[in-house]
Amino acid sequence: MIRVEKLTKKFGKVNAVAGVTFSVKEGEAFAFLGPNGSGKTTTMKTIVGLNVPSDGSVMVGGLDVRRFPRETRRLISYLPQRVIFPERQTAREVLHFYAGIRKAPRQRADEVMEEFRFSQIAERPVGEFSGGMIQRLGLAVASLADAPVLLLDEPTANLDPHGVKRFREFVLRQKERGKTILFSTHLLPEAEQLADRVGIFVGGELVSEESVDHLRLAFQASRTIEDMYLRYVGSGENE
Amino acid sequence: MEIRAVVDIAFQELTINIRNKWTTLFAVVFGVLIVSMAYVGMQVEGFGGMQSFSRTSASMLNLVLYIVPLVALTMGTLSFTGDKGSMELLFSQPLVRGEVLVGKWLGLFFSIALSTLGGFSIAGGLIAATVGTAGLVQYLLFVILSLLLGMVFLTIAVLVATLNRRQAKSFGFALFLWFFFVLFYDLLALGAAAMLRGEQANTLLFVSLFGNPVDMVRIATLILLDSTEMFGASGAALVRFLGGELGSILLLVCSLIAWIVIPLGISIRILRPQDI
Repeated sequence: MIRVEKLTKKFGKVNAVAGVTFSVKEGEAFAFLGPNGSGKTTTMKTIVGLNVPSDGSVMVGGLDVRRFPRETRRLISYLPQRVIFPERQTAREVLHFYAGIRKAPRQRADEVMEEFRFSQIAERPVGEFSGGMIQRLGLAVASLADAPVLLLDEPTANLDPHGVKRFREFVLRQKERGKTILFSTHLLPEAEQLADRVGIFVGGELVSEESVDHLRLAFQASRTIEDMYLRYVGSGENE
Repeated sequence: MEIRAVVDIAFQELTINIRNKWTTLFAVVFGVLIVSMAYVGMQVEGFGGMQSFSRTSASMLNLVLYIVPLVALTMGTLSFTGDKGSMELLFSQPLVRGEVLVGKWLGLFFSIALSTLGGFSIAGGLIAATVGTAGLVQYLLFVILSLLLGMVFLTIAVLVATLNRRQAKSFGFALFLWFFFVLFYDLLALGAAAMLRGEQANTLLFVSLFGNPVDMVRIATLILLDSTEMFGASGAALVRFLGGELGSILLLVCSLIAWIVIPLGISIRILRPQDI
């Protein structure tokens, strides 16, 4: 469903992403792990077409994101790392606006409002929302279109434990529905619980791609998932 | 370009800006200034009551030439360099970038237009009720020219914000452009003309007119108000050269439209391969 080949993204002289290659199969959940500034967000933003690759290619659903921006973005629902909505708009207005943009019926916006527990606060301006509520509204927007691919950049960063639990349930539901999910996280148990495979980014490179089953085997062999992550990150940071 | 998406984005931008206290403040201040001008203009000359439409238009000209570009540049740069998180979410939707840009631009324009029209309408209503409707057509054309001026500077703001996505830098550059077009440009043109002789100086002044939308609106309004004598021989030469008042106004309006279309086209081209 997603195929990234030799992706390089430079900002001036800085190589934010250097020759990254990976693919995510349809219905698979893939987690990006890695320290801050390792290239996870840049890679995600390039997949959704927000960043223009310096080199390499990104295909979504068999289409090149640069040649078919509208078509590929129709396949993707993206939640940015730090989602922001206009402060003076209400939750209902936000959801109706994005439903219009995604050509989803208004009824769908009302369903999503119910599903994400915004019905009671639908007329409140977003400026009065907490960070967790805004993140939840972001997830609600991302689920409006029922797109086959979900790109979620550190989706649990602002959520409280309840919110994290609900997010994990949401992702598991989407997995059951056959969605392709690519998400980044700093929470290793989250990756272990939700992802089929993980990719570890260090210094703009994808230094490892492991299946979660393989990680679990490593875990059983008395090495923790944290140890494995730190081994890769540590070796990458030393280079 | 999908018109429906452009309209949705424009409507959202309009809603956001209408609820912005700065838009409301601009509408109120603009309205108070226009009504005051319409009233005070006659007091100064020892008469009571409101001025006619024509006199009010002439009094308001400088106010419009100063305030409308400033508001358009400010609102344009601040809106187009706004929160990254909301821009990322919007640009990640199945839209082409031109649709987002044109939608936001239209929404901003309508919010500026609404607040400007608010002031013009209150003053217009008061004048019509107290003095009568003589000069109403000129007043309405002046309103249209003011809106066109707002649109030109909004487009310039969009271009500035597209060239530089950082808010502080864009805003600073927009302010510089305001000073340049509103205050410095005429001095530069006159200074350059002073170094040339007769025909060359006239040609330079004539050509330089089309390099500044503020001057174009000023001259078009003065022609509308039959006040060409206020800009002297070069003004009269301009009207003669362009084949009369109507031809002059049409040429100036077409030039203002070019000042909208060209920067907007450049902005779309710049935005297309840009990182968001």
